[in-house]
Amino acid sequence: MSGTSITGKATEETLPAVMAGAASRRTRKRANRGPRVPLWAIVVFGVSAVYFLLPLYATAVFGFSTGKHFTLQPLWDGLADDGFHTSLQLSLTYSVVTTVLALVVVAPTAYLVELKFQRLRSTVEFLTLLPFVIPPIIMVVGLENMYGVDSPMNLIASSWAPVLLTGGYFILTLPFTFRAIDNALRAVDVRTLSEASASLGAGPVRTFLRVIVPSISVGLVSAALLAFTTAMGEFTLAALLGYPTFPVYLLNVNGFQPRMGEALVLVSFLITWAGVTALALVARKTPGTQVVRGALM
Amino acid sequence: MSRLELIDLNKRFGEQVAVSDFSLTIDDGELVSFLGPSGCGKTTTLRMTAGFESPDSGMVMVDGKDVTDMPPNKRGMGMVFQGYALFPNMTAIENVEFGLAVRNEPVAERRARVAELLELFGLAHVGKSYPHQLSGGQQQRVALARAVAIKPGVLLLDEPLSAVDAKVREELRTEIRRMQVQLHITTILVTHDQSEALSISDRVIVMNRGAIEEVGTPTQIYAEPHSAFTARFVGAMNEIPVRVVSSRQGLVQRNGRSVTVVGADGLADGQLGLLLVRPEQLEPVGASNEALNGDLTLTGRVEIQTFLGATTRLLVRESPAAAGDALAKRLLAVDVPSANAGRWPTGSSLEVRIPASSSRVIADRTVDGEALDHSGVAVPIVPDLGV
Repeated sequence: MSGTSITGKATEETLPAVMAGAASRRTRKRANRGPRVPLWAIVVFGVSAVYFLLPLYATAVFGFSTGKHFTLQPLWDGLADDGFHTSLQLSLTYSVVTTVLALVVVAPTAYLVELKFQRLRSTVEFLTLLPFVIPPIIMVVGLENMYGVDSPMNLIASSWAPVLLTGGYFILTLPFTFRAIDNALRAVDVRTLSEASASLGAGPVRTFLRVIVPSISVGLVSAALLAFTTAMGEFTLAALLGYPTFPVYLLNVNGFQPRMGEALVLVSFLITWAGVTALALVARKTPGTQVVRGALM
Repeated sequence: MSRLELIDLNKRFGEQVAVSDFSLTIDDGELVSFLGPSGCGKTTTLRMTAGFESPDSGMVMVDGKDVTDMPPNKRGMGMVFQGYALFPNMTAIENVEFGLAVRNEPVAERRARVAELLELFGLAHVGKSYPHQLSGGQQQRVALARAVAIKPGVLLLDEPLSAVDAKVREELRTEIRRMQVQLHITTILVTHDQSEALSISDRVIVMNRGAIEEVGTPTQIYAEPHSAFTARFVGAMNEIPVRVVSSRQGLVQRNGRSVTVVGADGLADGQLGLLLVRPEQLEPVGASNEALNGDLTLTGRVEIQTFLGATTRLLVRESPAAAGDALAKRLLAVDVPSANAGRWPTGSSLEVRIPASSSRVIADRTVDGEALDHSGVAVPIVPDLGV
C-alpha cells in the first residue's frame, strides 16, 4: 500500500492468521495427550463415589442374606408381599398424576409469563420458591388445618382425599418444575418464534403445542423427571396425612422385617434410577434440542 | 398482491415517541423500503402493520379493509424476522409447510407447493435438513419460502439480511427482488443499509425520529434529497454554504461568484442556504477538458486520500487565503478514478469545480435540533464501502 492510502485492508497473510495457526497446533498437541483431568478432581470424585455407593453396598449385604450366607430369598419375599404391591401402585399413581399435572399447569404458565407478563416474573419466581422455604412438616400442619377432620372443608376423610396429597405434591415439586421449564423457555427466543408462528396463521394453542413445546422438550423432560422422583420418594406428607405410599410402607416393613425391607429399598432405588436414566436418554435423543440457539442465530 | 394503507399511525412507549403521524399508501405489487438509523421507528411501524404492536391511534387497511384490530394470525401477512426464527425442531420442508398445515390444506397439495418453493429458492437438496444444519443464507431462504408459502397479500421483511455475510447479502437481495417481482407481492423492507434500500426498492421511505423524512424513488432520494437529513444519511454529501441572491432565478452566490442552481424556489432572497453536491460530481479543474462555464470553484490542499476501489476519495481542505468571504476551512470530498489519483497526492493543491448542474440548494436551518456544522462535511473519513 502506498503512503497516501489509509484504508489498509488486511490480506490473508497477516499476523492474526499466523496466530490462529499456532493456536490450532497447540490444541492438536493437547488432544493427542488426552484431556488433562486434575488430581483433586479425581480425588473428590472418588470420595463422593464411596460416600454414595458404600451405604448401598451395606444395604445389599444386609438385605440379600440370612445372617449367615448370601441369598435372594428376602427379595422374593418382599416382591410377593401384598403391601409392597399396593403401596408401590399408590406411589406410582400419585407420582404420575403429579407429573402430568405439573407439566400441564406449569408449562403454559411459564410460557405466558415469558411471553406476555414479564412484569409478573419476580412474583411468580418468589411463589415457586416458597416450597423450598417452608418445610413439609409445616405444610402438613397447614393442610390439616385447612382440609383436616376438624375443619369445615373436610377433605381428608372424604373421597376427595387423593386430591389433597396430589395438590401437596404439586406444590412441593413446583420449584423444580417451574425452574426447569423456565430455563428451557429462556434459552429459546420464545417471543420471535411465537410471532413467526402467528404470522403464518397459527393460533396461540397451536403455537404452544406445535412450536414451543418441541423447542423446550429438554426442559419438560427434566421437569417431569424431577416431579416424578420427588413424588416417588416423598415421605413426610404421605406419612403424616395417613396415605400408605411406598416410602411409608418401606419404613414400616423395615421395622418388622428388616432384611426384606432392605432388599425392597434397593429395588426402589433401582426403579428410580432406571426411570431417571431412561428419561435422560430420551432428552439427549430429541433432535434440535441441543442446538436451539444455533437455529435461531 | 394487496394494496396497503397505513393511516396516521402513532405509537409511544411510555414517554418515548416511537412513531408519529405515519401515513403511507403502498400499491399492489410494490416493494418499499423503510430506511433510517436505529431507533427511527421503522421496525415499530412494520410491527404495527403486522399486528404485533397496536397503534395508539391510526389505521392499517389492506385492500380497503380495516385490519387494525385484527390479531396477527388473521391478517394473512407473511413475515421474515431478523434472526429468521425458523422452528428448530422442524426440517426445512416442515418449516415451509407450517403455514399451509395451519390452513388444513390437503397433504398432497401442500407437498407440491413446498417442493415448488424449495425449487424456486434453490433449496431442493436441503429439504430434510434442520435449521442448525443450514448456512445463514440457506436459513434466510427457508424463512422467505415459509413466509411466501401461504400466498400472503403483504410480505414484511424486518432487516432480513443483517445476519448474513456481506457477499451473500448482495446475491440474496437480488433474489428477494426477483422473487417479489415474479410473485407480485406487496412488500415492505425494513433496513438500515442504504445500498440495500436503493438497489431493490420501487420507493424508499426515509425515516427519522419516528416520522417520515422523505419519500421517493431511489434515484430521487439519492440525487435530489429534499432535506438535509436525507442528504446526509443516504450516501456521502458535500454541503457548501451559499447565499441566495434571487430565489426566483435560482441564483446563489459564494465568494463573489454567482451560479444558477435548482432548489432555490423554497428559499427567500438573502437567506443562507446549503449547496449539496455528491463527491462523484465534483471534479478537479483540469481533470477533463470541460470549460469552467462559470461554475463555482474551491481551492485547497489534499489532506487525505482514501482508496475505495474503483474510485479514490480526496479530502480537500479549502485554503484560508482563497476562501475570501466564505467560511474558511471548508472540507470537501472529491471522488476521482483511482487510476488518476496519483495526479493529486496528499499535500498537493488543487482547484475543485462544483458543477451547477449537479448541485441543488436547500435551506440552511437547524437539523435534528442542532445548528448545522459549518466546518465539516457530511461524510466520514473512512466511508462505508456499500454506497
